[in-house]
Amino acid sequence: MTSVLASSRRAWLPWAVGVLVLAAGFGLQTQLYTDQERVVTAVLMYVVLAQSWNLIGGYTGYASFGQVAFFGLGGYVTGVLMWQLRLPFWWALAASGLLAAGFGALIGLPLLRLKGHYFAIAALGVAEGTREVITNLTSVTGGGGGLTVPTFGADAPTAYLGNDGFYVFFLLLAAFAVLTVTLVARSRFGFGLRAINQDEDAAAAMGVPTTRVKVAAFSLSGLLAGLAGSGYAFQAVNIYPGPMFDVQITVLMVVMVVIGGSGTVLGPVLGAVGLQLLSEWLRANYTTYHTFILGTIIVIAVVLFPGGLVTYVRGGLRTGQWSLLTSIRRYRL
Amino acid sequence: MSQFLQATLYGVLQGGLFALIAVGFSLVWGVMNVINIAQGAFVVLGAYLGWGLATYAGIDPFLGMLVAAPVMFALGYALQRFLINLVVNAPVFITLLLTFGLDLMLTQAMNIAFTANYRAIPTSYASRGVEVLPDVFLPLGRFLTFGVGVGVTLLLAWVMSRTRTGLSISATGMDRGAARLMGINARHVYGLVFGLGAATAGMAGAMYGTVGTFSPADAAHLTLISFVIAVLGGLGNPYGALIGGLVLGLIEAWGGQYLPGSWENALAFGVFVVVLLLRPQGLVGRSYYAARLEV
Amino acid sequence: MSGAADTETPVLEVRGLGRRFGGLHAVADLSFSVPPGQVVGVIGPNGAGKSTFVNLVTGHLKPTSGQVLLEGQDITGEPPWKVARARVARTFQIVKPLRGMTVRENVAVGLLYGPDASRHSGAALRLADEVLERVGLVALGDVTPGELTVADARRLELAKALALRPKLLLLDEVMAGLRPGEIEPSLELIRSLSADGMTVLVIEHVMRAIVAVSDRVLVLHQGRLLTDGPPREVLADPRVIEAYLGHRYGRTHGADTDREQPRD
Repeated sequence: MTSVLASSRRAWLPWAVGVLVLAAGFGLQTQLYTDQERVVTAVLMYVVLAQSWNLIGGYTGYASFGQVAFFGLGGYVTGVLMWQLRLPFWWALAASGLLAAGFGALIGLPLLRLKGHYFAIAALGVAEGTREVITNLTSVTGGGGGLTVPTFGADAPTAYLGNDGFYVFFLLLAAFAVLTVTLVARSRFGFGLRAINQDEDAAAAMGVPTTRVKVAAFSLSGLLAGLAGSGYAFQAVNIYPGPMFDVQITVLMVVMVVIGGSGTVLGPVLGAVGLQLLSEWLRANYTTYHTFILGTIIVIAVVLFPGGLVTYVRGGLRTGQWSLLTSIRRYRL
Repeated sequence: MSQFLQATLYGVLQGGLFALIAVGFSLVWGVMNVINIAQGAFVVLGAYLGWGLATYAGIDPFLGMLVAAPVMFALGYALQRFLINLVVNAPVFITLLLTFGLDLMLTQAMNIAFTANYRAIPTSYASRGVEVLPDVFLPLGRFLTFGVGVGVTLLLAWVMSRTRTGLSISATGMDRGAARLMGINARHVYGLVFGLGAATAGMAGAMYGTVGTFSPADAAHLTLISFVIAVLGGLGNPYGALIGGLVLGLIEAWGGQYLPGSWENALAFGVFVVVLLLRPQGLVGRSYYAARLEV
Repeated sequence: MSGAADTETPVLEVRGLGRRFGGLHAVADLSFSVPPGQVVGVIGPNGAGKSTFVNLVTGHLKPTSGQVLLEGQDITGEPPWKVARARVARTFQIVKPLRGMTVRENVAVGLLYGPDASRHSGAALRLADEVLERVGLVALGDVTPGELTVADARRLELAKALALRPKLLLLDEVMAGLRPGEIEPSLELIRSLSADGMTVLVIEHVMRAIVAVSDRVLVLHQGRLLTDGPPREVLADPRVIEAYLGHRYGRTHGADTDREQPRD
């Protein structure tokens, strides 16, 4: 499935678009109020997370329900290094990324031998287990009471980035995430992932070293989520195990990718932007009911557009079939 | 020594309740390949039903449970028949997302209706204890929940293997296509299974409220323990749920007694992942379930 | 003919190859060797162990006994991707196309990860057209496998195997379900591959094809090698007839290789 963006004739087009979007992102910043800026910062963070899941769940077809483990791990590595060792944020960021990627490689090896449901929930088990371990290593991580990243005064290893600073941080990280997925999608590695997704045995019969490739994808996805977690920890200043390893974060990642269009570069971006903005709007206008409405939207979206909005629109444009019942007819019992 | 025995007794008693909490989840997953993230929410809903009946109608929760069960069954049947059945043939994570959305809706609805305050369903007898061995007490309430939990689970096992309905459920679980060819209405059977899952969860919930406090916030944790028990015991197998419940109950009890902090939780998840990796069919489950579910 | 003394190292040699599943011996004690450039037909009734044999050679299954040697090198139990990179290619009996990808992209995977691994997807896509040309699919390069006819789907399966530029090609029932008019071009293709020096093992039920294209035929029965020889001899062998048609038929009838043998 070659999209307009991937056609080799206009190879420079996606890059031009990317640069434009990045410039727009910088420009947008000057137009936003503080709380709006924070909202967009959160959106950008979710773009990173969505692309992270997209790599392992979308391209490779291994739907992990434990992706938040990398986010939480990245956050805690940064938190602990900055709090206990007064390490500057940028070193902690690098460490978070490396450790998250390493963790992905380590647990990927046994876990990626499982298929389907088993892999999904084994990953969930790992995420929950990691949270429990962090909660119990009280002397290192502050345990259930959380930890506070030193951010003010002479005590702080790195000056707090502030709203503007974090906006730029997550904008660049989001650009990095999208760039990574774009490069993967067109590369030999991307072909390998898609082959594994479609038929792992056939891929192996064609020379794809499936274990290595899967683990690399998982590790790379961990890197992205870990970096996001690291930035988030610094931004939030006070972190606790529960919220940092909240399974809802994983589910949001999955929903964003699924609704936006998994296995594409653009899909997760659209999904993240759409869902996060929607969530913020609901939270602002329907505070009591916002989670309930979000749940309803997830249910409806999953039933009507399991292939994602991007696929629905493309399909409609190509075949003129816009019926909302197509997916239901296809997947119902 | 008496501490060990007390902890062991406690773990076993907990195990009985755990089994009932999880058996519906295990059945739904084993037969239909549907992972019901809202399982915990069903349990909590059952607790609220029990609480409501006790508070406003003075009905003892162990009786109120019998009223909650058909209500929960109807809810579960409707959800499966008219909603979840729509995505049953879609990839794995689609049903997961759907039940997650339902979980969000249900948990939030309960938060709104009942607030997030912790409640309990006190009974006059639940906190009484009998000293069965020197320094080892058998709390009556927990003993009752154990008894009912094990009893209903065994009843479910009997239904599955001895009644026509149960057999049609098993058949559909093993080979849906073949079952349909034999005249089994799979859509209806699926509804039944989810209904049974919701009903048993509701009953467990009503009892859960008698031995501790509850609030919508417990839903996530209850779903997680259902996961662990289902995997430990083997999917779709009520006896497995008993074994899984027992194992988890003992891990929690011994871990709570002898491990610092809350390491027993980390241990439980560790065991969970290891079992998945080494023996995905569970401690009691049969291999063909695990093989079939590699979708 | 078969077993002729060869001073060259055989491309494929199996020694005592066996695979057990619990108490069942799907393949037992297989020993034979294939010299370079030979086209070997492998026949046998259903359940004889033909596909298991292919899986054992290509690494999709690990043998429980015996060895597989490729040009003298022991490849027993190697994972499929390593075997593929050693230039052993196979087609799957039930074709396994990569559905979400175009025909060209399917072949490109083999070019990107196979023994002649190319680093760039662009170059691989261009080279893929050469492979597609060979099997006659170049016009359908942009199509997805779901839109292909049975015969074309088989060609894609073959193209995916050829992308590895194999020394040894195992074709698992590529003729099944083809119309008579579609069989002849497939035979032509096999002959041309053999003319280029490829060693081909053709696992088949369609006897006409076996006779037309094999230098030699191996017969598997209940996991063991029943006989090994020139096509016409083998098909006339009463033991072979008996294996396919049962004891009574074997006793009372001879073989008629001009008629296609019924398959069970």
